Amino acid sequence: MSLLERDFNAPHAWHGDLPVTSRYTYGLAGERFFRAIKDEGRIFGTHCPRCNRTYVPATSFCERCLGELTEWVDVGTSGQVYSYTLLYENYDGSPRKEPEVVVFIRFADGGFIHLLREVPIEAVEFGMTVQAVFKPQVERIGSISDILYFKPLA
Amino acid sequence: MTSKIKDFPGTPLSEEDFATGKVLFHHDQLRGEFAWDSGIAIGRYLAALKEGYLLGARCASCRKIVVPPRIVCEWCFRPMEEFVPLQDTGKVNTFSLCYVTWDMQRIKEPEIPAVIEIDGASPLHGILHKLGEVDPQKVHIGMRVKAVWCPPQERSGAITDILYFKPVEEA
Repeated sequence: MSLLERDFNAPHAWHGDLPVTSRYTYGLAGERFFRAIKDEGRIFGTHCPRCNRTYVPATSFCERCLGELTEWVDVGTSGQVYSYTLLYENYDGSPRKEPEVVVFIRFADGGFIHLLREVPIEAVEFGMTVQAVFKPQVERIGSISDILYFKPLA
Repeated sequence: MTSKIKDFPGTPLSEEDFATGKVLFHHDQLRGEFAWDSGIAIGRYLAALKEGYLLGARCASCRKIVVPPRIVCEWCFRPMEEFVPLQDTGKVNTFSLCYVTWDMQRIKEPEIPAVIEIDGASPLHGILHKLGEVDPQKVHIGMRVKAVWCPPQERSGAITDILYFKPVEEA
């Protein structure tokens, strides 16, 4: 048997599992942002008076001038579709008939990614105004999924 | 150094703060499954453990016998041509009395990890394993030990097929 020949009866691989768990805290601004979603069902941004920009989600400092941001503004619960994509596959790779619409929603000078539902896919367009659909208050845990999805503004 | 600092900047958090909901957080669990290719030499080493013996590799050039086996000699960089079965006895090269488990639990009876120079391998060549059936206070460097194996049907081709090494009477 030559040296580089494998013994195919020998174990080929060593299998293992790394127990990796993590707990992410949202930080000072994030804490207040998600508290507002959880307790009040409101979406907040922070305004920089020097740069005249409003960041959503709220941040504790301005990424342009690095100044501290203390001015919290309620940006409402509706924003504009900035970009979207249609997903025809589930997270586990299985196909789906009706696509999931994933949108980037603009609030003030920022925004975030969420789901868009209750709308036929032909009707999805850039700039359309959509509003957040929240979970009932008792079910909210302080997470972006406290907003179930967005739907077109009635 | 840190004893001089009275106030640390930032927001300290305790386990209680998470439990009582003082702070919001996101819990996540990554899927850390992996398969590490055992390669030619370690594959055979694991197969040999399942059979119930230790396998080494011999370098024809510098005549070292190393354990676990590998396919390239670490000293002269030549291919190792030969796999050789070794004894399951040896002597303690170094050891530690360990009163804390891997997940930081305090224990009364220590675990005794030890490097054991395996008989048949070159001097100072051995494997890390643990000692058992021994009074922790009597463990010493140079102590003769022998492997205690799992029953053959329970072996899986892993280093844990050797349960531990126990002392043998010096002849």
